[in-house]
Amino acid sequence: MAIVATTTKFSVYGRPVLAWIVGLLFFFPIFWLVLTSFKTDADAVKPEFLLFFTPTLDNYLNMTENYDYWRFATNSIITSVFATIFALAVGIPSAYAMAFNPSRATKDVLMWMLSTKMLPAAAVLYPMTFITKSIGLFDTHFMVIVVLMLINLPIVIWMLFTYFKEIPKDIIEAGQMDGVNTWGEVKEILIPLAWGGIASTALLCFIFCWNEAYWTVRLTTTEAATLSKLIEGNRAPEGLFFGRLSAVSAAAVGPIVVLGWFCQKQLVQGLTFGAVK
Amino acid sequence: MSNRTLPRLLQTPAVIMLLIWMLIPLSLTLYFSFIRYVLNNLRRPEWTTPSFSNWRGFGNYEFVLNSKDFLFAIQNSLLIVGSILFLTVILGVLIAVMINKAFPGQGIVRVLLISPFFVMPAVNAVLWVNMILDPVLGLQGLAVAGINDLIGSLQSAPGVGWFFSLWPEVKPISFRATQTSAYAVIIMVTWQWTPFAVLIFMTSLQSEDQQQKEAAVLDGAGTFSQFRFLTLPHLGRPIAIVVMIQAIFHLSLYAEIEIVSRGNGNKNLPYLIGEFANNNIGAASATGIFAVILANIVAIFLLRMIGKTLME
Repeated sequence: MAIVATTTKFSVYGRPVLAWIVGLLFFFPIFWLVLTSFKTDADAVKPEFLLFFTPTLDNYLNMTENYDYWRFATNSIITSVFATIFALAVGIPSAYAMAFNPSRATKDVLMWMLSTKMLPAAAVLYPMTFITKSIGLFDTHFMVIVVLMLINLPIVIWMLFTYFKEIPKDIIEAGQMDGVNTWGEVKEILIPLAWGGIASTALLCFIFCWNEAYWTVRLTTTEAATLSKLIEGNRAPEGLFFGRLSAVSAAAVGPIVVLGWFCQKQLVQGLTFGAVK
Repeated sequence: MSNRTLPRLLQTPAVIMLLIWMLIPLSLTLYFSFIRYVLNNLRRPEWTTPSFSNWRGFGNYEFVLNSKDFLFAIQNSLLIVGSILFLTVILGVLIAVMINKAFPGQGIVRVLLISPFFVMPAVNAVLWVNMILDPVLGLQGLAVAGINDLIGSLQSAPGVGWFFSLWPEVKPISFRATQTSAYAVIIMVTWQWTPFAVLIFMTSLQSEDQQQKEAAVLDGAGTFSQFRFLTLPHLGRPIAIVVMIQAIFHLSLYAEIEIVSRGNGNKNLPYLIGEFANNNIGAASATGIFAVILANIVAIFLLRMIGKTLME
């Protein structure tokens, strides 16, 4: 009996306290980043654990004045939104075909798609830059959108496939009996039923697009440069200006972290990858 | 059967796009890997344009295999990916089980926990390496100084001072050396991807059979054996999925390596390719082909692991 009593005590008091400690520990680096972004550069490198100081907005003002933050942010939003939309537009029909009309090759096609994500980007950087420059698409929104879409398409299709497979086949077949055509099946039956899954997929795709930092940095210079490029340009020569660096970083990750907070219910319920039976 | 043709055709746009996305760069890489192709060479300007007349056969492959960095880069890639997978799965399971039951502030703790997953890799690296792990300017330096101060004041304490004077002074670790910067990469990526594991395990735990658990409690099963014999088997499939997705992402890890280990010798395979590509495209392409082979070996392992359950 004694053992049972102690376990209950632990789960009543110990577990919540431990959970809070772990949660705060995981969040601490982000908190520190935001805090540092309000310090002057001199305060930021002081060798003390500086929690209370005179906050300044200089770093943010400097960033919007000298670095054209809004252009980078707008580019990030445009490219991520359109890449996500296109990935869904191509991915939904594809996942529908695989889930409801599978052939013997479906599993292999799916695994092959995922394997394209394992190709080392660094190996094809040179040919890719060469091609995009020679067809005049270097540093254009279009190119960034296409590349972001292609990078995320395998994960998008796979996630959608796992959601669609949970939908009973009978429902789709009943639609076919009623003479609904394929487009109608997708629009009237599939999308409403799998709405939660589609939303989670879109959210994850958007996060990955926003955070992509290999191609977006290397296929752009100014016109289509995203926030990744802003970070890339700021991290090297001004390494010791922690205040400025933190402000740029916080402004780059801020929008996506806040979006993640608002959508966390969707992520908690939706991010199954077919793991829940 | 003909009414199945159209639905099946719907997957062709995706297949064709990915095929092009894979084949064009891959065939160019293959071509470059067999010729002499450099960006700058004053004595042999003909090597700076790709052409079949610069055919080198397997010369680039030999060059890469003989370079001292190649084996190290492969080892290091596997060390980094393997350690991250190990740590994120263990931490992910423990945290997911810990926050699964309701407690005051559960929602807030969940938000705090998953936040790192949204952070850009480049920001992640800049933040950790400069502001947290740096031995002088980062919090690590402060923590070490604090511990030393504490030990120092204990040494002058009456009675027990002699005991603490036996303690050595704690020294801060520099995460900029070759080996330690690999650890820095492991730490920061684990911080970022543990939330992903937690998210997936949490979702899976919500579907755990509660009646089975109650029955186990009635039979006198303790917390540990419930975890060992009910929860862990239930998490088998999500663990496989977390391992697979992370392996796909971390094999091509680049930004973190680049920022943490600027020229200090710590490299993984993608970073080595990037180094070669500064001038020697031929060698970079040959390394790229090796990386493709490595990725395929890993992919076959993963396929064995979860391929079967995927289609059930």
